[in-house]
Amino acid sequence: MIKVSNLSFSYGTKRVLSNISMELKGGNIYGLLGENGVGKTTLLTLLCGLKKPQEGSIDTDGRDPFDRQPSLLEEQFYLADEVAPVHNRAERFGRETGSLWASYDHAKFLQILAEFEVDATQRMDAMSAGQLKKTWIAFALACNARNYFMDEPTNGLDIPSKAQFRSAITRYTAEDSVVVISTHQVRDLENIIDPVIILDKEEVLLNASLEEISSKLFFDYGMQINPDALYLERTPGGTIQVYPNSTGEESKVNIEALFNAVHSHKDVVKALFQ
Amino acid sequence: MKNEVFNGSRFWNWFKYDTILLWRNHMFAALGIGLAGLISYIVTVCYNLIVHGQWQAINGDARLAILVLAFIALELYQTSTYGYLTKKQEGSAWLMAPASGLEKWTSMLINTLIVIPVLFFVVFLGTDWLITLLDHSGGKSLLFSFSGILSEVSSAVQNSEVDFGMGTIAWFFISSFCVNFLYFLLSGLVFKKHKIIWGIVALMIISSAMTFIFSRIGWNVNTEFMAGTHNARAVMVGFSACMTAVALCLAGGIYYRIKTIKH
Repeated sequence: MIKVSNLSFSYGTKRVLSNISMELKGGNIYGLLGENGVGKTTLLTLLCGLKKPQEGSIDTDGRDPFDRQPSLLEEQFYLADEVAPVHNRAERFGRETGSLWASYDHAKFLQILAEFEVDATQRMDAMSAGQLKKTWIAFALACNARNYFMDEPTNGLDIPSKAQFRSAITRYTAEDSVVVISTHQVRDLENIIDPVIILDKEEVLLNASLEEISSKLFFDYGMQINPDALYLERTPGGTIQVYPNSTGEESKVNIEALFNAVHSHKDVVKALFQ
Repeated sequence: MKNEVFNGSRFWNWFKYDTILLWRNHMFAALGIGLAGLISYIVTVCYNLIVHGQWQAINGDARLAILVLAFIALELYQTSTYGYLTKKQEGSAWLMAPASGLEKWTSMLINTLIVIPVLFFVVFLGTDWLITLLDHSGGKSLLFSFSGILSEVSSAVQNSEVDFGMGTIAWFFISSFCVNFLYFLLSGLVFKKHKIIWGIVALMIISSAMTFIFSRIGWNVNTEFMAGTHNARAVMVGFSACMTAVALCLAGGIYYRIKTIKH
């Protein structure tokens, strides 16, 4: 479990995260959403230990990530938005770099590469951005880590690759893994992320499971306009409306509509989920 | 419970990985510097053939000068060997790889102070030996010149009024070499861009400041003072000790940088 307590971080005088507290529990794929510049990447890099909290603390199974202890580094993987074009063939890169992770499984790496339709004999610095990203994703999953921090993993992936990514992330992560995926492409990951964390300027607007969201907000895809709607979007053949769930009836959460509803009615949503 | 500070097998794993990575990323540049003697030999022979119409290789003194210049280039190149750590993509991957700061630091120092210089000398002197073996027009190999220089130095030391001792001389050269290599390695880890230029600028500022400080406190080692056998040796030992202390400080600075670097 990862426990974030009163975490604050600034770049110079610009405050990015302010007094954030949350718990990230095993067995979940967290979707970290937010507008540009609200601190999603900063939060991910703090969680994995690439940055040091200026105030507050992060506790990953009793350890401070910024200590970068080898036992913790073996249990986690940070996948950056832009990955390095390594001067090596994918297969050899996996074998050599994987030797550093005790749980690395080379056969699994090759299998995921094959599923991603990436040629393992190709040089990584000659790959397209999408192929390179898929190679790094395959490597990350083959490391059999417990905690994954992925920054915009579907950026640069084509449509079939996004489906392959969703399939791989659910199949190849352990049952007790904490997976945190920061993304703008909510539709790419709609079916796999649960819970959802929405970051706003300096604060967490929402951190809730889909079940909890569905119990407190109703997602209406019908034609009839609800006057209490926090968010309304007209679509071809209907609408998507989000309003407080007063009946307890379940509905399918539309994450993009949720994001827009939360942003347009911050105080209402915060009060609902408190 | 796992050893989080230094584990032998984990270190060996990391050292292999680190060395392979270094070789893969810097092989051509390192070979280019190491093959400076061969390149200058080819250029000289071609030049002499075209301009003077005769086969004449580069002579021993010029090859020694090229060795010194190539070695300086190698020192400056230390800003690049681990300079990628300041880049977001490569640096993040390096920091997140499972090995302790001490293991990464030890591997970095072994590669910088032993593996790279040894490879350089093997390549440079090896090609020089081969060239002089096949072509006698350039004189003796630098390898033999070195052994001659060493025996001359040794006999001069033994016969000299000022008994420095070979150990003190070796200590002086090794500590100076460590300071130079570690300084440029640290520059590469500190400066994000134009690492060589900033490294040299910082060195000039530090040197000026040190000169100013020592001149203010009146530490002048004059020739009269040096003339005394005991004094001269004491100055040499003191200077070597200072260089060793600086090398240790630089090594400590490198460790601190590894432990605190953020992306």
